[in-house]
Amino acid sequence: MDSIVTAASVVAAGLAVGLGAIGPGIGQGSAAQGAVEGIARQPEAEGKIRGTLLLSFAFMESLTIYGLVVALVLLFANPFAG
Amino acid sequence: MIDSAGLSQRASAYLLVTPLLQSDANPPMEDGIQLETSSEAIEGNQNKLNLDLPGEVPLTPQGEYVLLQQRIYRAAIIASILVVAVSAFVFDLSTTISLMIGALSGLFYLRLLARSVGQLGKTSKHLSKVQLLVPITLVLVASRLPELELFPCLIGFLLYKPSLVFQVLLES
Repeated sequence: MDSIVTAASVVAAGLAVGLGAIGPGIGQGSAAQGAVEGIARQPEAEGKIRGTLLLSFAFMESLTIYGLVVALVLLFANPFAG
Repeated sequence: MIDSAGLSQRASAYLLVTPLLQSDANPPMEDGIQLETSSEAIEGNQNKLNLDLPGEVPLTPQGEYVLLQQRIYRAAIIASILVVAVSAFVFDLSTTISLMIGALSGLFYLRLLARSVGQLGKTSKHLSKVQLLVPITLVLVASRLPELELFPCLIGFLLYKPSLVFQVLLES
């Protein structure tokens, strides 16, 4: 593999994971905060709140997974490698 | 010399004081026993009343969450079986196996995510990130093993998504 391609792949993998985790991290934190506050206010609605939290976490975390997959592909199955 | 008057006074004073000391150290047992038996009787009656209630058990919030998980798992398993069956007819065996392994990984990931969401606020204050090891392991294994293909593995892993979308549409 060309050294420039290798270096660019490593940098791109780091950026993909790092930048891709910022948004979902903030979103998951605020969602978890809201859910825990909601459960504390209304314990009888815990099931619905947890269900909504599960769905929203699954959707948010998929963004992290996309970045993670791109990074792993760049590192271990690089299509640009000669 | 023995002072009999003094001894008798001390003895009478001791006899007078002893019941007081006993009552301080050990509070009256009869009332306590009666209270305990009465509270046990009340609890027993309540249990009898709860057992005798007709109809179904009311759904607890935790039970509601478990039911939602079961619905999502069921939908994800059905979607995975359908896609793997179609892939077995259309594509080759390697692609089908890759798709199936990805689908199983997606179900496992969803299970871990559901468990960490269930523990949030109860036993842990943070969302566990253990579930992210599942796609990492999947991509690493798919890139290392020549029998597996990377792209079908990723497609199979994301097969839990339609069930989530379906669940959201069902709730809204």
